[in-house]
Amino acid sequence: MIVPPASCWKWVIVTHLHQRSVFRRGGVSRLRLAGLCAFALQFSAGALELNVPGEPIQVHGFVSQGFIKSNANNYLAESTRGSFEFTEVGLNFSKELTDRLRVGVQLFARRLGPLDGFDANFDWFYLDYRWADWLGIRAGRVKLPFGLYNEINDIDSARVPILLPQSIYPTSNRDFLLAQTGGEIYGRFSLASAGALEYRAYGGTLFLRSTTPPNSPYQIGKLNAPYVVGGRILWETPLEGLRVGGSLQALRLDADFFFNQSIFGPLQAAGILPPEFTGKVGVQIPATLWVGSAEYSAGALLLAAEYSRWYVSLNSSQSVLFPNISTMVSERFYGMLAYRVKPWLHPGLYYSGYYTDVQNRSGRANMQHDAAATLRFDINEYWLLKLEGHFMYGTAALDPTLNHDRPLTDLQKTWGVLLVKTTAYF
Amino acid sequence: MRAIRAFTLLLTSSALSVGALAQPRLGLPAFRVIVHPSNPVASVERKFLADAFLKKTTRWSHDQAIRPVDQRSDSVARNKFSEEVLRQPVDAVKNYWQQIIFTGRDVPPPELDSDEDVVKYVLKYPGGLGYVSGTANLNGAKVVTLQ
Repeated sequence: MIVPPASCWKWVIVTHLHQRSVFRRGGVSRLRLAGLCAFALQFSAGALELNVPGEPIQVHGFVSQGFIKSNANNYLAESTRGSFEFTEVGLNFSKELTDRLRVGVQLFARRLGPLDGFDANFDWFYLDYRWADWLGIRAGRVKLPFGLYNEINDIDSARVPILLPQSIYPTSNRDFLLAQTGGEIYGRFSLASAGALEYRAYGGTLFLRSTTPPNSPYQIGKLNAPYVVGGRILWETPLEGLRVGGSLQALRLDADFFFNQSIFGPLQAAGILPPEFTGKVGVQIPATLWVGSAEYSAGALLLAAEYSRWYVSLNSSQSVLFPNISTMVSERFYGMLAYRVKPWLHPGLYYSGYYTDVQNRSGRANMQHDAAATLRFDINEYWLLKLEGHFMYGTAALDPTLNHDRPLTDLQKTWGVLLVKTTAYF
Repeated sequence: MRAIRAFTLLLTSSALSVGALAQPRLGLPAFRVIVHPSNPVASVERKFLADAFLKKTTRWSHDQAIRPVDQRSDSVARNKFSEEVLRQPVDAVKNYWQQIIFTGRDVPPPELDSDEDVVKYVLKYPGGLGYVSGTANLNGAKVVTLQ
């Protein structure tokens, strides 16, 4: 019987909700990167204000170029040989229409190994009505408030590390976790001497584009997310700079897989599959994610820690070809420290851990530990340079397709990554 | 004795020149918080002021939209204001705004070049809120006390 091994099904789940690049976000609009760059570079440094009637339109942007090198295992790109396929460009426009109403849009393009390809997309766009500080509403494509830093996963200038802890903020997963199209309510309550409470709640969908992986026994047809809902609450405690909170998110991915006749034909002939089977298998992947967060920021010091679990299952219309998988729970966590030594020098450290299945923590393919150290140099107000080293133990977050389709159990258990990245922004 | 007096004088003049950065003139505050003259508010809490400049709080108690205005990041008043009111260095505040700008949630207050520009801005908008150095000509802008 030609059924992929169990690890393959796990990989499919992981593909959907953790690391892989099989599916990419559908472009709402496409410009070529060159055009976007040229447009961005027409502007001089500093936020721009276009002259239109009323309050000016604010224009901000960034251009990043990175380099990634690993001593073993290809990570995010063809990193063992060293790769410059690590580029990001963003340009946003926003305008205050009234003192309660704002509109904004950001175009974003990137190249990260096989992910995306310089196609510019609407990263976010919204209409934001802030009725009062405790109640506002946004409609459009809105970034997902998951954990402390999900929204800045692609904003190099807003953080110290080049890569945020990948256990909770997998950069190759931005199509699924960065933004949703729908609506959001948000607000902030003062709790007087008890601090303040900030909340956000959202619901909508994800627009996804399917791409069948090479050498696959099937083609991926329809791919959609019927819903993504969730929220985040952050409590700004009376101890200034300390905030704690939690985020919850639920979503479902639906996909149709079309298997080749060469795969299902013999199974039909053997009577394992019904004669009316045409090769189409419908799959539903419901997932629930939560993360608990704590951050302390005082002067030049930043401390952060988060712990998360993701619950993913798979329901298939034809379990012979695509077995059902009962809920698999992955575990993710990190602790981070950053300290601004000088206005131009900002070092940081973190340790991040990831287990694909809490029931099975042994073996290199089921875990990945990541100890990272970063130096951020702010060359001036509009330009920064970062150096970062990672010591890795385990292979769970690696992509087999980037590693010549070798199983994760065959990849190097202990390995390292060096990254260099520079970003200009205004 | 003359040497001691000279040393004391040197110390005093050094202290005065350092103090001149934070407190432009002896007895004057490093910055004063100003609002539009029509604003009924007479005093503000530090936390309210910090939240207003970080745009976490966007309206005055009389429901007027707050329009905060900053000074250049290298100005003495900005640095002192950031340290005492926001309790963060200017660099950290700029990093905060990077997060807000590129997630599309808001934009930072405008950064103006001088006390005079800040006063003009505050006088232009009924919800205006700014800070100027202790020696600035207020030209009718109202000073509010910081609680």
